[in-house]
Amino acid sequence: MENKARWLGERERFTLLLIAPAAILMLLFQVVPIVIGANASFRDWALNDPKKTWVGLEHYRHVLSDPAFLQVVLPNTFAFMVLSVALSLVLGLALALLLNRPFRGQKLVQTVLLLPLMVAPVIAAIMLRWMFNDQFGIINVLLEAIGLEGQPWLTQRWSAFGAILLTDVWLWTPWFTLLLLAGLQSLPKEPFEAAAIDGASRWRVFRHLTLPMLRPVIVVCVVIRSIDAFRTFDIVWTLTGGGPARSTELFSLYAYVHAFLNLDFGTGSAAAIVGGAIILVVGMALYRVLDRVVRVSP
Amino acid sequence: MSARRAFFTLAIGAVCLLFAFPILWLMLTSLRPQSGVYYVHRGLEFTLDSYVHVLHEERIVQAFLNSGLIATAATVFSLIVTVSSGYMLSRFRGPIASTWFGAIYVFRCVPYISWVLPLYFVTQSWDIYDTYLGLLLPHIAVHICFFSWLMKGFFDGIDPSMEYAALIDGCTRWGAFFRVALPSAIPAIAALAVLCWLFTWNEFLFALILTGQRTPVITVVMAQFVHEMGIEWHLMSATAVLALVPAFVLTLFGQRYVIRGLKI
Repeated sequence: MENKARWLGERERFTLLLIAPAAILMLLFQVVPIVIGANASFRDWALNDPKKTWVGLEHYRHVLSDPAFLQVVLPNTFAFMVLSVALSLVLGLALALLLNRPFRGQKLVQTVLLLPLMVAPVIAAIMLRWMFNDQFGIINVLLEAIGLEGQPWLTQRWSAFGAILLTDVWLWTPWFTLLLLAGLQSLPKEPFEAAAIDGASRWRVFRHLTLPMLRPVIVVCVVIRSIDAFRTFDIVWTLTGGGPARSTELFSLYAYVHAFLNLDFGTGSAAAIVGGAIILVVGMALYRVLDRVVRVSP
Repeated sequence: MSARRAFFTLAIGAVCLLFAFPILWLMLTSLRPQSGVYYVHRGLEFTLDSYVHVLHEERIVQAFLNSGLIATAATVFSLIVTVSSGYMLSRFRGPIASTWFGAIYVFRCVPYISWVLPLYFVTQSWDIYDTYLGLLLPHIAVHICFFSWLMKGFFDGIDPSMEYAALIDGCTRWGAFFRVALPSAIPAIAALAVLCWLFTWNEFLFALILTGQRTPVITVVMAQFVHEMGIEWHLMSATAVLALVPAFVLTLFGQRYVIRGLKI
């Protein structure tokens, strides 16, 4: 009995030691900052004049009654998250299905599709910014060549939003393609052979075999991407800077602008915490779905 | 049948072109002389002047070196930290494991902005703001959640019976981890290394907030370009292409690991 207890202690010590470095780093560089941020969100904390006096929920009231936050930033963020994930999922799935057969040059195609994965979002945004340039960008040049009128893409709200969305879809469709392709290739062959013998149409095979069997991979991809899309910063910052007139700001940019451009760290922190709470709820809900479809927790 | 084949080839070709076009266009722009940069589609003069110019800018060269150094160091240290944490998640059950898993999931959801804003003060009060250490440590911390999760998946795919056999033969738990589990996880570790290096090299938000004049990194320098000298497209494209090169080389060599590593 004593022997067994000591063995358990040794096991626990081992598990704790395994996670100790990670846990200490997370404590110092994630937990501590989050606590400081939470504290700052209740205080008058201007970057150029940090009085640090307690103001209670003042900053939260300010953020939650800010029409820019409620009518622009939040709708933008959610629209961006849903559209970006949906578009890259559909495109990525279509490409994965297209590539899921042996053909000549498959390696080359795969390499080309991998390209966006290695491109920094900042660089992707620079590329698209140049292509959508209103005077010299290739998009307008092509449009004018076929007799259409060029648009000032990045200075109108919806076309600027569209350009941001396009950059994100370009960056992340290959990610979906590769993960789904890997998923497709690991599916068992027998059900498909049986379906072929029964003479099932391609659509029926896709709808009733491929899609259900691929569901775990799709769910994992969608959860991971949704959480990341919610906090997108680099693309917006580089492509439009949140403009025109702050109409394409997403939530991360909103918090940044408050903290570092308006020098109001208190309000910026409050905004960051509001956004964090929202995505935590969304993330938890998605996790429940994920956990029901494929068990991931130990 | 051949019509369908042609359609297939055409579709694949179009998709490839679409995905490669922005990068090709960037490269083309970077090769145009200053006078021709606004009319990239017209004229056939090409020059490497922009590259020469960019590589003579001390700040840009410094930024490249800094980015490379930080990405490499961050890769080494995050692997050390996350491989053991992922191993623990995969092999052990019980309250410690489920608490750690829960913590990892929750912190994975927390938007970067919520902890990077206050990190500005944290690094300043610890005197590491705008230094290598001040960027390196947060970068290691940022990957813990995602990589532990990935690593858990890799170890789940490795049969633990060899480790049990080693334990029965008198190996310590550390011995079983280092000598048995670790060697069989090398392909996964390679995949993680490639991903980690790319993520750190490409990262922007942390660098924007946690570095200033002393420690420029390449993504921040490029973004400043856009806002400060938004008209010098030839120089900007040259810098961007140069920043793509290391990532491209790494992806090319690490491709097969990454593809295997991306399988969930």
